[in-house]
Amino acid sequence: MLIRVENLRKDYVNGDVVTPVLHGVSFTVEPGEFLAVMGPSGSGKSTLMHILGFLDRPTAGAYFFEGRDTRTFTDAELARLRNERVGFVFQAFNLLPRTTVLDNVRLPLLYGTKRNQDALARRALEAVGLTHRLGHLSNQLSGGEKQRVAIARALVGDPAVIFADEPTGNLDSKSGNVVMDILQTLNDQGRTIILVTHETDTANHAKRIIRLKDGLVVSDVVVKKRTRAGDRGELGK
Amino acid sequence: MFPAFRQSLRGLASNPVRTVLTTLGIVIGISTVILVLSAGAGFRSLVTSQVNALGSNTLFVSTRVPPTTKSRAQKFSAGVGGGVTGIVINTFKTRDLDDIRRLPNVVDAYGMVTGQAEASEGNHQKSVIYYGAGAERFRIDQHTLQEGRFYTPAEDAGAAQVIILGSDLAKDLFGQNEPVGRLVRLGTLNFQVIGVYAPQGGLAFGGTADSSAYIPLATAQKKMLGIDYLSVGIVQMRDTSLGDATAAEIRSTLERNHRITDPAKDDFEVQTQTQALDTFNVIFSGITALLIAIAAISLLVGGVGIMNIMYVVVTERTAEIGLKKAVGATRGAILREFLLEAVLLTVLGGSLGIAWGALLGWIVAAVARANQLAWTFAVPPSAILLGVGVSAAIGIVFGVLPARNAARLDPVEALRYE
Ligand SMILES: Nc1ncnc2c1ncn2[C@@H]1O[C@H](COP(=O)(O)OP(=O)(O)OP(=O)(O)O)[C@@H](O)[C@H]1O
Ligand SMILES: [Mg+2]
Repeated sequence: MLIRVENLRKDYVNGDVVTPVLHGVSFTVEPGEFLAVMGPSGSGKSTLMHILGFLDRPTAGAYFFEGRDTRTFTDAELARLRNERVGFVFQAFNLLPRTTVLDNVRLPLLYGTKRNQDALARRALEAVGLTHRLGHLSNQLSGGEKQRVAIARALVGDPAVIFADEPTGNLDSKSGNVVMDILQTLNDQGRTIILVTHETDTANHAKRIIRLKDGLVVSDVVVKKRTRAGDRGELGK
Repeated sequence: MFPAFRQSLRGLASNPVRTVLTTLGIVIGISTVILVLSAGAGFRSLVTSQVNALGSNTLFVSTRVPPTTKSRAQKFSAGVGGGVTGIVINTFKTRDLDDIRRLPNVVDAYGMVTGQAEASEGNHQKSVIYYGAGAERFRIDQHTLQEGRFYTPAEDAGAAQVIILGSDLAKDLFGQNEPVGRLVRLGTLNFQVIGVYAPQGGLAFGGTADSSAYIPLATAQKKMLGIDYLSVGIVQMRDTSLGDATAAEIRSTLERNHRITDPAKDDFEVQTQTQALDTFNVIFSGITALLIAIAAISLLVGGVGIMNIMYVVVTERTAEIGLKKAVGATRGAILREFLLEAVLLTVLGGSLGIAWGALLGWIVAAVARANQLAWTFAVPPSAILLGVGVSAAIGIVFGVLPARNAARLDPVEALRYE
């Protein structure tokens, strides 16, 4: 079991105002899964992703990652988990400006202990089909290319799971399809993917869909007719 | 450390104009420090070499107004060189110098007065400082002539109208012509030029020694100034190690002659070369301290500027900090990056300051040398180390608060930041 959350709760506290967001979320994720988290805006999808990705801590409930209880982890241990065990892909790409593609992909390695950083970054860029853009500056890329760089950056540390929070939200359908194709290919190779989206079309690329509403899991289903992004023949490189 | 270094450089390079402007306070502060230390070294070497040229075996006797009483001083207008109004001590006489010459450790001594007058030759005219010095001067003083001869004791005693010119003065009055044997007018009298000093490159009262003139003591006293007293006496000792004892003997001789019982009422001062240097050093240290204080204020202002800009930088890069945390940067890693960036910024300013200060120091030295001063240009290595060290320290001190802010950012909040 890769991930197990039990009765996970999250309240945001701003001064005297307490905003409960997650009201007790429980589910498990096995290695190799491709999970889509759906739900209306404000239902707590991003909040859940941040907790699962060790960027935030739950207010209550338990989170076991690779069998270990994460409640006892220090900030430094969480930073290390972020660096080595998980990868993030954001809606807004979040690349370093005025920085080359290669350096963007290498960034996580700067905070880790791995050797051969250049080779690892090149291999990650190969997986997203961007080896011909190594020396480009991040602001010289199209939106789709930016998101592929971001996926390479998430992949470079060889993580157990990649979290993608609306990765196609800022892309046209063609670029979005390329991104989904890459995620599916990575999943085919055994990488666990957890994706947030509010589009059913996008969610149907996953193998399983969890729906959140008002901070609770309202459904958890296996996708029967899975969409293969590669089938549309639009995969451009 | 290396990745943090690259990240910091990237940060600085992203806004080069701002980077340079930010460091201005540091540049000014450090360049002031470097200039002070460089010019200080040059000035010290100049003074030391000058004092050594006078001979380290000499004592200075000069008159002074006693701090406790003015009874022995008289109001005197049209004083030395004319136009100076003030209290003049007129008790130091040739007779005092004769008594000093008889002291056991004294080899020789000469008296000196000084004045200012118009010197003219043909249609060349110049206001000069002249010294009336006893002929014994030439047995004590180490400076040499480039041509001609010194005046003799007989010429001194007879108040002869002979003159020795400083090298610059000779050029000013005679140009390429041969001065020795010619006449110059000093004030209202004609003097025969008998010698020209080799360039000395030293400071003297009211100008450089090279633009002054020397005439016999008696001539200056009787014919130029109409006085019978001395302003300074220079005493040559046999054994330098007995300097303090000899100075004490001179003091008691003069006190006896001037009928002074209370040393606090002395109307004269006896200084050894080391004391003269000490006095100079005290004044010089004061000036240095003042300039260093100005530099310190500038550095403080510069440091606050750095802190200010680092807060701006942290805010500007909030989203970037969030991302770095998301990919595994610890608080310590973020802190190091921003601290290093602040230090790079201040060390950059410090380096510019060192270069600028050295350039100013070099200009000061060039100007001094153009004025015939034996001034050497040097930037002491310790000054460079100090400059780099101080600027790096400022980066750490003023960078730590903004860097800590960056390190403490909540990654989720930071990622959300637009
Ligand atoms: N720091 C915070 N302080 C207070 N409330 C917050 C904070 N962060 C998020 N929230 C609230 O928590 C709720 C869930 O936010 P979250 O970002 O998880 O929603 P989401 O499901 O990702 O929505 P979207 O689809 O619009 O991205 C929202 O109502 C939001 O306003
Ligand atoms: Mg969201």
